[in-house]
Amino acid sequence: MASIIVQLLIIGTLQGGIYALAAFGLALIFGVSNVLNLAHGQFLMLGGLFSYILFMATKWNPLLLSLILIPLFFGLGFLFERGLVRPLLERKGHELVIASILVTLGASLAIEDITSFFWGPEEKGISYMMPSIQMGSMVISSIRLLGLLFIVLLTVAVHLFLKKTYTGRALRATTQNRQGAMLMGVNTFRIGSITFGIGTILASAAGVFYVILFTITPFIGIPLSIKYLCIIVMGGLGSLYGSLLGGLILGITEAITGYFAPHWSETAAFFILVAILLIRPKGLLG
Amino acid sequence: MKKIHIVIFIGLILFILLPHFTPRYMTAFLLLLFMHIVIAESYDIVGGYLGYINMGHSAFFGIGAYTFAILLNGNFGFFLSSLAAILVGVLFAALISFPFFRLRGAYFSLATFGLIRLFELLAFNLRSLTGGSSGIMIKAEYRLTLAYYFTLGLCVLTVGLIFLLTRSRLGLAWTAIREDEEVAQTFGINTLKHKCVALMISASFASLMGAFYTWYIIFINPKVVFGLEIALVPISMAMLGGSGALIGPIVGAFFITIVEEILWTKVPYFHLAAYGIAIVLVGLFMPGGIVRLKWLRKPLMRLGLLED
Repeated sequence: MASIIVQLLIIGTLQGGIYALAAFGLALIFGVSNVLNLAHGQFLMLGGLFSYILFMATKWNPLLLSLILIPLFFGLGFLFERGLVRPLLERKGHELVIASILVTLGASLAIEDITSFFWGPEEKGISYMMPSIQMGSMVISSIRLLGLLFIVLLTVAVHLFLKKTYTGRALRATTQNRQGAMLMGVNTFRIGSITFGIGTILASAAGVFYVILFTITPFIGIPLSIKYLCIIVMGGLGSLYGSLLGGLILGITEAITGYFAPHWSETAAFFILVAILLIRPKGLLG
Repeated sequence: MKKIHIVIFIGLILFILLPHFTPRYMTAFLLLLFMHIVIAESYDIVGGYLGYINMGHSAFFGIGAYTFAILLNGNFGFFLSSLAAILVGVLFAALISFPFFRLRGAYFSLATFGLIRLFELLAFNLRSLTGGSSGIMIKAEYRLTLAYYFTLGLCVLTVGLIFLLTRSRLGLAWTAIREDEEVAQTFGINTLKHKCVALMISASFASLMGAFYTWYIIFINPKVVFGLEIALVPISMAMLGGSGALIGPIVGAFFITIVEEILWTKVPYFHLAAYGIAIVLVGLFMPGGIVRLKWLRKPLMRLGLLED
């Protein structure tokens, strides 16, 4: 029993790590530009799809292949912000919410349709095997451990970027107070584009893990966007690190409920969201 | 009688007589159009007047549809089942308004968007009640014309009631909350109560529409009533037409339903992409929706269809 729980915790942490990664990217984007990016899940899907295509062409280790995707997705996110999001930023409150929903939702519908036309609507997954590690009665797949390691490294890298570099500090300043940052000489528009790039990298990285551990279809994007948005609500309003916590909680809950009642694992996520909102309306760290 | 009243009156008589002269395809198309108007217009109570973007509006539609289907199969009769559909929808709205209305702005939209997914999963999982992914079938018979009249009636009722409500104290309170919630509270408006009432009214129309739709379409499953297609109706139609104006969602529903129908029949591929790109363009270039376009604003205001 104990070994099952440890295994569930490892699976849950990994799953939660994937959630946390993409949700963290979304929280960064939301924090800087106040735009609800419903296309976030689509970038995750595209990340998975591209690494699938690269894997099929080369058969190398998919985690290493994902390094090639980083500049590609940074560019994609950067251009997405330039083209579609920046024109919205001058709008106020209510109107910004409406416009951002329309634009990002429309973009994600278009991305979904075009990908399913060119690459087919069927499920895609990379079956990449690596020898598993056996410890007593526990069997831990090493690709999962490697994935966990990659996630931790990526999170630490983003954390260091936020704390140590000028751009990172400017980014945090923009989340706290846009006008203030602007007055201090921060080019908030450039920061907005860069943040979108980084958020998209995180989403696509999560997509790489997704395609290795599960399967992807062109249609997972919008439900996933909804889920990540729920995670950042759960984590806390305007708190960047709350999304990491929310993602982990969700992943572990899903792994545990998934073991005892497989159908209910996704439903549990939303019940947890409502429960947290009842107790702490501003989210865990808000 | 003003000119506009005569136009509305003639239009209504036309729609009442239409199913006797046109092919069934036209009747089915108009039914769909009226359904979209009901959903988009009832969304607009919360989305347009109260200023809370409720992206989970179609959850009420689905709840109504499932309640109706389950009770009708339990031999409760059409009338009782529709009544129960409204009741369950309204009760649910009251239930969620407490945790959800503590959220503001974007976060409210997110949490409500999650609701649809939650209900889709619940409908899949509660197999003994909802039939899971294989859905529910109700007793079939030919009822297109009757369903058309029900939907038309509900559409007129929804639009009429919203017209009256927005001119009442309640509607004024909603607008006040939209403009500035703190100020509204300071002026003695019980904001939580008003928000809750708005959501309940909005839910009642959507869940009754869900019941009528089930009655017409005979078969429902989680994808049909909680899927993206219905969920997008209020978001795209109300916002495209113009949120917060009575005529807005109607214009949006007309526009999108007709364009969708043309795309479905003429373009074999990419109609979802075309739909998406259209939504993007609206978001980028028409912040207030079609009815607030510069060249359309004046004539609409002169007709008394739009207020500032």
